[in-house]
Amino acid sequence: MPQTWSATGLQSLRRGASLRPRHPFQSLRPVLWTQPLTPRQLQCVQELSSRRLQRMPVQYILGEWDFQGLSLKMVPPVFIPRPETEELVEWVLEEVAQSPCAMGAQGGPLILEVGCGSGAIALSLLSQLPQSRVIAVDKGEAAICLTQENAQRLQLLDRIQIVPLDVTLEGSWAHLLTWGPMDLVVSNPPYIFHRDMEQLAPEIRSYEDPLALDGGEEGMDIITYILALAPWLLKDSGSIFLEVDPRHPELVGSWLQSRPDLSLDLVAVRRDFCGRSRFLHIRRSGAQRGCPADAWPWPLPARVPG
Amino acid sequence: MNWTRFLEAPSSFCICRVDFFSDCVYYVSDAEMNRHLCAWLFRHSSLNGARQCHLHPQSHQFTQIHLDTRLWIFRQNRTPILHHLLNKNCPRRYCHQSKMLWKHKALQKYMEDLNKEYRTLDECLQRMSVNEGDRKSLNRRHAELAPLAAIYQEIQEAEQAIEELDSMCKSLNKQDEKQLQELALEERQTIAQKINMLYSELFQSLVPKEKYDKNDVILEVTSGRTTGGDICQQFTREIFDMYQNYSSYKNWKFELLNYTPADYGGLHHAAARISGDSVYKHLKYEGGIHRVQRIPEVGLSSRMQRIHTGTMSVIVLPQPDEVDVKVDPKDLRIDTFRAKGAGGQHVNTTDSAVRLVHIPTGLVVECQQERSQIKNKEIALRVLRARLYQQIIEKDKCQQQSTRKLQVGTRAQSERIRTYNFTQDRVTDHRIAYEVRDIKVI
Repeated sequence: MPQTWSATGLQSLRRGASLRPRHPFQSLRPVLWTQPLTPRQLQCVQELSSRRLQRMPVQYILGEWDFQGLSLKMVPPVFIPRPETEELVEWVLEEVAQSPCAMGAQGGPLILEVGCGSGAIALSLLSQLPQSRVIAVDKGEAAICLTQENAQRLQLLDRIQIVPLDVTLEGSWAHLLTWGPMDLVVSNPPYIFHRDMEQLAPEIRSYEDPLALDGGEEGMDIITYILALAPWLLKDSGSIFLEVDPRHPELVGSWLQSRPDLSLDLVAVRRDFCGRSRFLHIRRSGAQRGCPADAWPWPLPARVPG
Repeated sequence: MNWTRFLEAPSSFCICRVDFFSDCVYYVSDAEMNRHLCAWLFRHSSLNGARQCHLHPQSHQFTQIHLDTRLWIFRQNRTPILHHLLNKNCPRRYCHQSKMLWKHKALQKYMEDLNKEYRTLDECLQRMSVNEGDRKSLNRRHAELAPLAAIYQEIQEAEQAIEELDSMCKSLNKQDEKQLQELALEERQTIAQKINMLYSELFQSLVPKEKYDKNDVILEVTSGRTTGGDICQQFTREIFDMYQNYSSYKNWKFELLNYTPADYGGLHHAAARISGDSVYKHLKYEGGIHRVQRIPEVGLSSRMQRIHTGTMSVIVLPQPDEVDVKVDPKDLRIDTFRAKGAGGQHVNTTDSAVRLVHIPTGLVVECQQERSQIKNKEIALRVLRARLYQQIIEKDKCQQQSTRKLQVGTRAQSERIRTYNFTQDRVTDHRIAYEVRDIKVI
């Protein structure tokens, strides 16, 4: 085994092996370091290691990973939550705590998450804002199922609506209005520039859904759709929180200026713990647009898809 | 009977002379000597920790001494009066009776002064004509003196009650009412006991508390360098386990911050955060270099059956409260594995190691214990705060020119503080030349 490891040059294997405190076959408990492994344990370690040798991400091998203190199930090809996104959730929580008007009639804020993936953002917001409700949408079927499963594991199903939805399809989001205007829109949309996709590590390229990563030529495709539909769905002074590529704050700023009809302002840019501009706070200014049914930019089809 | 050793405790305590035998385990010949010994051992029970001393005195001696041992721990430079008292009254031996001490005029005067100060502070604060800065310090002093004044008050009242009872007894005697007399005597007894208790409480409150005693600590163990074999690493692991067991014995919370095993099963270095009641008070003397001498039974070194010597170092850092040490985020540089490249969706690594560099002081703290980078950052920040706090403490100490020989933090000390000799079955603490036998029990 050591020979194959060095052949692939995977330094992170050893580290990855020790980061499994809850894994049934290994633990940080010192006593296990001195006892020899049973044949069954050895077999399992062998199996897991071979998967790692195929560059499968550790999170998929273990089948679970932590996010904001919650343990979430991970299944390929659903996108694995990144640690930076935890800071996005922190920022949203801070803003909610500061603005009392973020509370809807029923108590907590009503939040829309676009591209929920494994449900990381939605579920951590729900667990830390006990009065909140979340509408989580995603275009991938696997993501919808996984979010459902994670919500069930964490017993948060009663406050979440999981809707299969592709926001780029015309008029697809219209029926979201039945739940009322939202206080917040949160998203970690696919934001990788298309030309950067090839340079991703094999773990990401081979196992994670490329649709969850590719944001088009300038990584802005999904972002622009979200920004375009938000004014229809948000309350007055409602907010949008996005995780983006470090090159996006400028691009988003100038895009918003080219679309004054949206009445959206880029209010703040926040850095992640590595010091890169990672998060955007955009606020809707101006009164709620008139009855949306009259003024939708796209003609409504006879049957709303999804 | 043979006095073969004459011992002096370090200067941080009052000079305490105890005679004991080097050979056998505390055989003493008379009750008086026994009391000296028990008192001294009892005082040092906090040093021993999980180790139990084997003693063969009459056990009832312990309870009596309990009250008196408080006398031993006055600091020289803080309470000159008491120290003076102790020295003056008993040059070669110490007055054990707290009551005797109480009757001493100097102490009475001291208490009176404190009481007066307390009352003037009371009036002062009530008048509210003091400005904010002064008010805070006055408040603090007031809070400090409050328990002392309360106990003093109680003692006064109790003494008054006793006087009344005494006069009542005398008058009763004349009238020959036996029953009432007995009742009065009983009551006098209970009040006398109460007074004794109050005295001891008073002395306890008078003893100035160590500044950082109640703090939680960060305990770090590191194995020393060996010339061969892994005795240091094995020993380090055992010591760390020992501290873990000790903290569970004391019902403290033991939170692992860092655990880096060595190649062959020992422990290279580890760190833990221990929180609970007066943790620092109990563990502060553990810092320094520990040396082991034994024939190892496990590990690499056990192949050759001869005595190996190894060292390991223990560092105990008191942990500051949030307000004590302020770390400005601008002063920090954070390095992580995700720092390379664009991060975010571009990267999926499980390497969550975080390294904090505090730019003004140059301190570097690493942490990779948790899965989450945010948690690692928090832990690293905590450790950084503790180390900065340590620096502040060291500065304080140098400035005050303290004569205490606390050996915390500076691993540069080449002086061994403690030797664990398994073959000869003894543990020696070099600072106080204290030996304990029967390591197995320990």
